[in-house]
Amino acid sequence: MMDTKKYIFTFAITSAIFATAFFASTFFSNKRVESVKSIQDNIAIDILSSETQFSLLGEVPCSNVGESSLSPELSTLGDKLSRTEADRGAEDNDVVYLKKYYSLLQIKDYLLSKKLANKCGAAKKPIFIIYFYSNQGDCADCEKEGYVLTRLREIYPDLRIYSFDYNLDLTAIDSMKTIYRVKSSLPALVIEDKTYIGFKTVEELEKLLPDTLKVATTTASLSKKVIVKQNPPKVTVTATTTVATTTKAAD
Amino acid sequence: MIYPILHGLMYPFLFISMYFQIFLLTTFFENKKKIKHEEKQKSEVYPTVTIAVPCWNEEKTLAGTLDSLLQLDYPKDKLSIVIVDDGSLDKTLAIAKVYEFKNPNQIKVITKENGGKHTAVNLALASSTSDLFGCLDADSFVAPNALRSIVYYLNVDSTVMAVVPCIHIRNPRTFVQRIQAIEYLINIFFRKTYGELDAIQVAPGPFSIFRREVFDKIGVYRKAHNTEDFEITLRMHRAHLKIMNSHKALVYTIGPETFKGFFYQRLRWARGFLENALDYRDLFFKKEYGNFGMFMLPIAFLFVFYGLYAAAFIIYGLFSQVITWFTRFMVVGFHPHFPTFDFFYFNTNVMSFVTMVMFSMFLLALYVGNTLSDDKQEFFKNFPAYFIVYPFFVPLFLGRAVIDTFFKRRNEWVLQDTKK
Repeated sequence: MMDTKKYIFTFAITSAIFATAFFASTFFSNKRVESVKSIQDNIAIDILSSETQFSLLGEVPCSNVGESSLSPELSTLGDKLSRTEADRGAEDNDVVYLKKYYSLLQIKDYLLSKKLANKCGAAKKPIFIIYFYSNQGDCADCEKEGYVLTRLREIYPDLRIYSFDYNLDLTAIDSMKTIYRVKSSLPALVIEDKTYIGFKTVEELEKLLPDTLKVATTTASLSKKVIVKQNPPKVTVTATTTVATTTKAAD
Repeated sequence: MIYPILHGLMYPFLFISMYFQIFLLTTFFENKKKIKHEEKQKSEVYPTVTIAVPCWNEEKTLAGTLDSLLQLDYPKDKLSIVIVDDGSLDKTLAIAKVYEFKNPNQIKVITKENGGKHTAVNLALASSTSDLFGCLDADSFVAPNALRSIVYYLNVDSTVMAVVPCIHIRNPRTFVQRIQAIEYLINIFFRKTYGELDAIQVAPGPFSIFRREVFDKIGVYRKAHNTEDFEITLRMHRAHLKIMNSHKALVYTIGPETFKGFFYQRLRWARGFLENALDYRDLFFKKEYGNFGMFMLPIAFLFVFYGLYAAAFIIYGLFSQVITWFTRFMVVGFHPHFPTFDFFYFNTNVMSFVTMVMFSMFLLALYVGNTLSDDKQEFFKNFPAYFIVYPFFVPLFLGRAVIDTFFKRRNEWVLQDTKK
């Protein structure tokens, strides 16, 4: 004998579980977007603060402006944004908005770094790579280049990597593309104001990067290791000082 | 491009699978009291029983099978054993004769030319006059209480026409047998619940016991694509004959020891299922066949294709991940880091939640299966083999069975199946 009620009851329970899963997933996905937005807001405040500090530079000596002026959260934000994009899809309105916001923050950070370098000289000169990619299936090497840049960032924590979605509809990115003469051939990398088209390995990029980055990174990590053993609370201060000193000495 | 399509199609299948799981679990828990009550009951009435033991080259296991039958807790004058040697080329017949000589009142040996299991069982059936008739494969063994437990169900309900036992893998030693041990454990839950729904899918070769009138009504065993046990079950459902499960009637069968043997056994089963289900397609979605026709048979048929689809989905996902790892390795080498805990990176999509719920329900069903049986298995020792290998093994034989059925290939592979 068939118990029709049980079939209906089972359907109700199954639907309820699916609905709960759907709502839970949406809830956590929205939380993720909120988290990214919150990080972006913090970065915006950081950049605004740095810009304000920069405006005051005429009255403040360069030595008072440390590396911390540049927002350290940008790289982790990039990872989280990638995760959000994978979760919600590249076409999702929130994702597009976050990517545009992220791109603008990167450009502001980049401009601020350059201004800082101009004002304070080589000691404050940031080393960065501007990277244009596409994830619309028209860039076979972009995935590989992403791995290379992630690895470079691990090797050289001081290296700043600004990545831009070539296809993102944002006039500021279009201007960057025009300045660096980036066409649709991707991946495209800008190092020391020179544009390189096509895939580059870790070794190839290391050759293109200025030596100061490598010296600074090695010295900073060595110094960190020694100080951690001797007196852990002094790590941050000492490491920062070492980076600044080494960079100056090298230049 | 392929992945989003596979991903999208996964949801309806997940819904159906979860529906199926919930349906079975609610059925079990609503009948739990009745099931517990049955466990305490014992039959005091002993109808006459004939057990057929069809053998084909079973010299290694026949003696153990016969010993277990002789040790059954059942009046000796009510239990007959008919050994049918189906043209064995080894010492099977000699062993059978020794047992016949020692137990002339209980054991009878018939020998014939090889003709397949169904011919052997039918010969035993024709030579018997008992109230009940069953079969025990010569590589299976019964626990002493098995027959009494089964007979109880036939005694208390005259509408019950057949009773199937609770089957375990005997002494699982090899990796492949450990996989089967868990598979049989989950089947204990399925079989019990199907019994409560009057929707048992197969009255298996090892020790399913039938009333004689079943054969009078629907006829004897047929070749039925080398799965005569499934076919006779379909015929019983078509004739509205009720089948129950006795979860306390323990039967042990020797599972294939190697992947090759396991593959060919499952290929035969899956091919037999598909061919017979197609032969009996008139049962599908017919209300008169109750839960079996409306739900269990169609969903079992659907699951053959779902199993293939789900496997393709999982393998595609894993393959993509491996390609990603490989590409990264080729580009930047291997640089392991300590994983950092950040809730942000947790997978919180709908499929993850649904899969977690379904996996929990699967474990619950497994637990129920283990508690139903009197023989507690080495669950933790066997589960990893099942969990890691089985999902990749199933699509192999299912895929081949579907292809063979579609192209109507001949069944040469049956010869390689050691368990006929």
